[in-house]
Amino acid sequence: MNIKWTHERSLLLSRVLTWAMFLLACAVLFLIPMITEWYDAVSGKPPVRTVLTVCLYISDIFAILAIWELNILLRNISKQELFTEKNTRCVRIISWCCFGVAAVCAALTFWRLLALMIAIVAAFVGLILRVVKNMLAAATEMREENDYTI
Amino acid sequence: MPIIVNLDVMMAKRKISAGELAERIDITPANLSILKNNKAKAVRFSTLEAICRELDCQPGDILEFSKDEQ
Repeated sequence: MNIKWTHERSLLLSRVLTWAMFLLACAVLFLIPMITEWYDAVSGKPPVRTVLTVCLYISDIFAILAIWELNILLRNISKQELFTEKNTRCVRIISWCCFGVAAVCAALTFWRLLALMIAIVAAFVGLILRVVKNMLAAATEMREENDYTI
Repeated sequence: MPIIVNLDVMMAKRKISAGELAERIDITPANLSILKNNKAKAVRFSTLEAICRELDCQPGDILEFSKDEQ
């Protein structure tokens, strides 16, 4: 079977994966008490259930917000609206969500050192997205200038 | 923008409508409207040349620099 991979199909796959991730993040919101209970049981370290629960709730809310903005971004791309202020705003929000998760994980480092790794990765992704946002803002300005050249 | 486009003044002097001018200089009425309403960010020399030719004027009759608009 030979399926031709097109731009539309790639976009559809991204949107399906984004929705799947959104549903997963929403499901995690209800499963956090169970996850933290299980973690304390298997970690073999002093219990950190309350701290972990708070951190996971805050991080999951950031994740849901980021995925929601990602969905808006993909919807705009499918409408051929690429270099717009709306898209720049979406990338900026996602970037700040990453920095938010990084801050939460950095705080969790006081109890679990492993959280530092997640904090660094989240901050790095946030930084990359910030650069992408700056690039998108410059591209939007260039497109506007081009559109308004008579 | 400190550059002001006085196209409507020149059009009124030459008694030419926006639609007719747009057709003569081969741009869309929407683009002419952007130019007339000072929304344009740049003007191509070819467009400026066509406007000056059709309105029988100089670029300075259409474009004006104003310090107050900065």
